[in-house]
Amino acid sequence: MIEVSGLSKRYGNFTAVHDLSFTVGPGEVLGLVGPNGAGKTTSLRCLAGIIPATTGTCRIAGHDITTDPVAAKRALAFFPDEPRLFEYLTVRQHLAFVARIYGVEDHEALAEPLLVELEIADKADQLPGELSRGMKQKLAIACGLLHSPQVMFFDEPLTGLDPLGIRRMKDSILKRAHAGATIVLSSHLLHLLEEVCSHVLILKQGEKIADGTLADVSARFSNGEANVSLEEIFLRATGGSDT
Amino acid sequence: MISALLYLRLTSLQNLVLSRVRRLRQPKYLVGAIVGAAYFYFIVFRRTVHVGRVAAAGAPVVALPTDLLPTLIALGAVILLVIAALSWILPDERAGLTFTEAEIAFLFPAPVRRRTLIYYKLLNSQVAILFTAGIFTLFSLRAPSLIGGNALIHVAGIWLILATLNLHFMGASFVITRLMDNGITPWRRRLIILGLIVVVAGVTLGWLWRDLRAPQAADLADFHSVAGYVNTLLANGPLPWLLLPAKLVLGPYFAQDAATFLAALGPALLVFAAHFLWVVRFEVSFEDASIAKSEKRAARVAAVREGNWRAARGAMKARPGPFRLASTGRPELAFLWKNLLSTFPIFRPRTLVIGAVLIIAGYRWVVHDPAYRHMIPIFTVFAFIVAGYVLFLGPQLARQDLRSDLANSDILKTYPLHGWQVVLGEMLTPIAILSGVLWLVLLTLLLTFHSPALTWLTPAVRFTVAAGLVPILPLVCALQLLVPNAAALLFPAWVQTVRNRSERGIEVIGQRIIFMAGQLLVVALALLPAALGAGLLVFATQWLIGPVAALALAAVAVLVILAAEVGCGLWWLGQRFEAFDLSSELRP
Repeated sequence: MIEVSGLSKRYGNFTAVHDLSFTVGPGEVLGLVGPNGAGKTTSLRCLAGIIPATTGTCRIAGHDITTDPVAAKRALAFFPDEPRLFEYLTVRQHLAFVARIYGVEDHEALAEPLLVELEIADKADQLPGELSRGMKQKLAIACGLLHSPQVMFFDEPLTGLDPLGIRRMKDSILKRAHAGATIVLSSHLLHLLEEVCSHVLILKQGEKIADGTLADVSARFSNGEANVSLEEIFLRATGGSDT
Repeated sequence: MISALLYLRLTSLQNLVLSRVRRLRQPKYLVGAIVGAAYFYFIVFRRTVHVGRVAAAGAPVVALPTDLLPTLIALGAVILLVIAALSWILPDERAGLTFTEAEIAFLFPAPVRRRTLIYYKLLNSQVAILFTAGIFTLFSLRAPSLIGGNALIHVAGIWLILATLNLHFMGASFVITRLMDNGITPWRRRLIILGLIVVVAGVTLGWLWRDLRAPQAADLADFHSVAGYVNTLLANGPLPWLLLPAKLVLGPYFAQDAATFLAALGPALLVFAAHFLWVVRFEVSFEDASIAKSEKRAARVAAVREGNWRAARGAMKARPGPFRLASTGRPELAFLWKNLLSTFPIFRPRTLVIGAVLIIAGYRWVVHDPAYRHMIPIFTVFAFIVAGYVLFLGPQLARQDLRSDLANSDILKTYPLHGWQVVLGEMLTPIAILSGVLWLVLLTLLLTFHSPALTWLTPAVRFTVAAGLVPILPLVCALQLLVPNAAALLFPAWVQTVRNRSERGIEVIGQRIIFMAGQLLVVALALLPAALGAGLLVFATQWLIGPVAALALAAVAVLVILAAEVGCGLWWLGQRFEAFDLSSELRP
């Protein structure tokens, strides 16, 4: 469960995110969309406790990310657009390190099926430098999933993946959502978001333009037309800005 | 076409200079530039000017006797010959001219002749060679009369040496590539070249054996006698012919005045021109190797920018963990485990044990052999030097902490840890490494530091001080490491620049000096309360409880004060880490 209320982030005179409020329930997948510079990544980074919000509150699984960050972070996983890995740790050593940080008991039993699911079991003793970008991303995801987070934030999770990788990533996200995880993801690939997201939130210049279920947002911007794509909704909502 | 490449080079250089000048508008660079300039003035220029004035005033200055010059040139030629030989033996890759990724993207698909690319590369390398020649001359001018000549002669001479060497390396790599294309493996080539060297060396030695005598006591009587003997040695048999090209190249550098310089310049330029023709006329494909080289270089630069020195040094290999990391327990230890993996495998607990055993065994051996017992004070002095080096420079060298992981701060901040836990965890590796070295130094001093003059330094006092220092030293290291880690969080943009070895310039040198001075000052201030407290305690209590107990009490007091300071520092840095946003800190 994610509850965001009046969240703003300012850098000096520049407001990156302004008065953002929304809620995402268990099993829901919220797609965060907006033109370049809309504040998607900044919002995700505030929600994940990476950067402090200037004002507003954000509760992750019932814990305030500002006042109780350790409990909130224990319940979440953040997946950046570029996999951030330690170049000197092998795949297996990454999982051992993350297990110790999160206190995941008997992590080997959890790690093995995860590596098999993500198809990197045969790379377990390799360093990130020996992995392709897609493999690195899978390793970052394995590290994030090891502690079975209730809340997940994906920043452009499909970047750099091949078609099969994109399909697997979508399946993986949906599997976690069906298992009750709360998921927020940002992406420019709107047609793919349509397949994964139950809800959508459109940002422009740091402000929320619209949010709700895909059907709600479609209804608001479809002008009575049927079968309007998310891409068309996006263009109408943002006034035709590029994605 | 060459004009377009010249334009690229000159415009890039101009933009580089302009951007360096423009960034002086930022205080961190301006202050760095002022300090860097002051450093150069006081350490290099002032001394150079002083030496120049002394020379101008006709005051006696240390000069190398002119009769030694031929020996010096011959020895220089031998060194050049060895360097040239190594350029034929060492390489195991095809010739790859070093281009940037942008140069490859723009120039390789462009309608540019292969030879033009070589011209461009040669032109490019001249900037670095001239800069090196200038710096080298600047430092050598501190003692100008040693080899005679003047600044212009030295710059031109060094440029000629380096430029010819550069051409020789390039030409050798082209030939090596041709040999590899013809199926001659690097090892076969090495064997052939080593065989040739053995033949030449054999002939030369045979010649010398026939014509020369072994050195007599008179030949080793003084510097001039040794030089005379060496000169005779190098002037016999085929050696003068072998060394001739290198001697010709060295000639202008060792010229005493303009006339001798001009006389030496002609033959040197002939050698240079021969190399130039060799390189530009030798048809060999360098494109594939250049692309591979450029990719490697880009990866290395990216690794350096992320603070990953291990990756920057070359291909990394997976290694077993330094110790078994259980799934549960203090999370800070996970950082120690991780960061120890990022550094040399020698930094392991077993190294400490082996080191201690070696020190004790070595001491026992030395102390039981009267022939070597006089060496004990040397070990004491050496231990003090190592201690000083580790205490002053250690925190700058052992950087497996936040400074190296700053680029990963986004991920570190998602961990369910308090800020102080992340900071402590990150600092554990350099603390462990520096403490380990200091403990070995302490053991050496405990065993070797005796002085009849210091009657109060009884074995009991020595042991108490050493035992007290064992837990104190890690805290001192932690205190020292708090400063650069605080700097990384407080001035990330500055630290990013300083830790990035690809950043150059007088302002970056100045920034590094400021950091070093700041660290020493802060640590000195932080140690002051503990030192004062310990001093007062020893002074006040030794009359009552004796010096040993007083020292033990003082050690406890120091421990408490330092632990409190480190604890406060960690807590404060943790707060800072939690509020830290690298992306906003690096905004221009």
